[in-house]
Amino acid sequence: MFAEATSAMFSVFGDPYLMGLNLGTTVIGVIIGALPGLGATTGAALLLPFTLTMEPVPAIAVLTTIYVSATFAGAITAILINTPGTAAAAATCLDGYPLAQRGEAGRALGIAVVASTVGGVFSIIVLAIAAPMLARVAYEFRPPEYFALTVFGLSMLASISEGGAIKNLIGGLFGVWLATIGADAITGTERFMFDNYELYEGLNFIPVLVGMFALSELLVQSKSLNSVMERIPIKAVKLPSMADYKKIWKAVLRSCGIGTFIGILPAEGATVASMIGYSEAKRWSKTPEEFGKGAVEGVAGAEAANNAATGGAMVPTLVLGIPGSGTTAVILVGLMVHGLRPGPHLFTEQIDKVYSIFGAMLVANIMFFALGLFAAKLFARVTLVPRGILWPIVFAFSVLGAYSLAQSMLDVYIALIFGVIGYLFRRFGFAVAPVAIGLILGEMVETNLQNSLKIFDGDWTQILVQPLAAFFLILAVLGISQPYLVSYFRKRKARRAKS
Amino acid sequence: MTNLNDSDRAAETSPGTDDAAAGPTPGLGWGDYCVPAFIFLFCGVISYVSTTFDEALPLIVGDSMQPRVFPIFLMAVVAVLNIGLIVQVLSKPASRRDWEPYQTWASAVLFGVFYFLATFVDIMIGLMVTMFALSIIWGERRVWVAAVLAIVTTSMIFFSFDLVLEVRFPRGLFTDWYYG
Repeated sequence: MFAEATSAMFSVFGDPYLMGLNLGTTVIGVIIGALPGLGATTGAALLLPFTLTMEPVPAIAVLTTIYVSATFAGAITAILINTPGTAAAAATCLDGYPLAQRGEAGRALGIAVVASTVGGVFSIIVLAIAAPMLARVAYEFRPPEYFALTVFGLSMLASISEGGAIKNLIGGLFGVWLATIGADAITGTERFMFDNYELYEGLNFIPVLVGMFALSELLVQSKSLNSVMERIPIKAVKLPSMADYKKIWKAVLRSCGIGTFIGILPAEGATVASMIGYSEAKRWSKTPEEFGKGAVEGVAGAEAANNAATGGAMVPTLVLGIPGSGTTAVILVGLMVHGLRPGPHLFTEQIDKVYSIFGAMLVANIMFFALGLFAAKLFARVTLVPRGILWPIVFAFSVLGAYSLAQSMLDVYIALIFGVIGYLFRRFGFAVAPVAIGLILGEMVETNLQNSLKIFDGDWTQILVQPLAAFFLILAVLGISQPYLVSYFRKRKARRAKS
Repeated sequence: MTNLNDSDRAAETSPGTDDAAAGPTPGLGWGDYCVPAFIFLFCGVISYVSTTFDEALPLIVGDSMQPRVFPIFLMAVVAVLNIGLIVQVLSKPASRRDWEPYQTWASAVLFGVFYFLATFVDIMIGLMVTMFALSIIWGERRVWVAAVLAIVTTSMIFFSFDLVLEVRFPRGLFTDWYYG
């Protein structure tokens, strides 16, 4: 099996079609990531319809490549215009932009490219090793364990950086409720369909995701049309010097571990990883006072962590069917659309396909390394595209993308409605990623709860005495209370320090 | 505590100002009241609708749960969380919420215009009109650029979806002519 997996992983390098597709998608991913407002999630949601006619491996390779390359490219605008192209690059602004202001934009970008590549490659190695091991454990899971695991996944929404714990949980539960629309899986009872039989099999994920991420972002962007972005010119991207390597290697390695671990946690993603990677780089630095003024370790720590989270986030997505982030929620939909049922069986029945996808992610990392070094200057120019041209194009791709999956106008209307709902969510401080994750986990939660109750003759307390299920439920309680516990201990520490 | 009314807010608003730039102001804004109230209303409506689901218990369900139980349970949890949200709102100064600039309203209205045109005229014509109008509203001063953008992009997307992805679009003025 090991030999089969390894050969499938490296077969991508000898496949001209996949290599060409990867190169094209990396370019698109870097452009999407460099454009403020268009992140990896929106990019993957917009490109998903274009993968429908592809074979499963190239299709998923397109989505994962967008994920990896757009996550890296957020650093380009973070460093050059102090506006993160993606939320995951917000921490990169803190030291990347001051470096650029000092005339060292090329150095900052070089460090970001190297750190991102190391983080990405590290996490893919971990993914390739850890995923089958976790799959072996997951084989033992029955409905009660899966139910508890999905509850744990939902509980982790509490600690997503955007919004707040309560708002994220409400958003996640709203997503779970959306998953109840349609016929009940066991009885066939129509729920919330209001006599619309196109909804019998439930809401299609793609129009909801396109609406929540792309169309709502369009409305958000319409609020900042008058803002002026000052772009710092760049001569060329420079590879880090030996002195830079000496300074950043510890921060990079630390962030690789942090990013991969945080990525593996259900519902946590690159944004949280980069924040923690950055703060840990500062905490362990010999010169913490330089942070915020142009510390190279800050750029390296944030970038290594956010790219390491990409591979980590694929672990629960592929092994358990629980998305590790908003973008992996879209990738999960892609897997399902292409007939690849996420779960432990994927690692026995279709291991060649899984490892080819890992191989494609590895190639994407190498490609964005090359593109980042030689063409970052060019990609920085995409920020000059007027919004009045860019966003009408996004609108067109969004509505036709929503239409194309089921070729139904209902999906277009759903995308438009969720565009407005997503905007209202953001307007009132709710993040939209929890809704997407809730929508995807919703069916799993309900079906596994129903099956668990059938196993235990309707006695739900039996779920609590299953050791593994109980373990996940305890983790879920800790997940929900974690933001409050952290805040409590911080306040207590601050009070002690004061006194 | 200060409650700003709508006209006060409108007077304070400058287009393009984002929430992050506008700092917190003391007191509860309308949004701070509306969000929890809306969530309670939503929970109530969904719970009520859930109670109307078929109560006959098919044998296959066995000792599992009725179709209405799960949505009602979800809404109960949301309602409890909403109480936490209210406590949070009351304990913090309200963030100032500026009114949206006209471009946001106009863009949202264009979603509706697109819906109307796509349903009753043609999806491609709807797309062209919406793209053109969006471009102008979003500040493109050169009308010809907006027109070229609308026509060229729509055509390119239409043909790529039709010929490459083999997507068949709904019947309308243009598609009737194209499909014959």
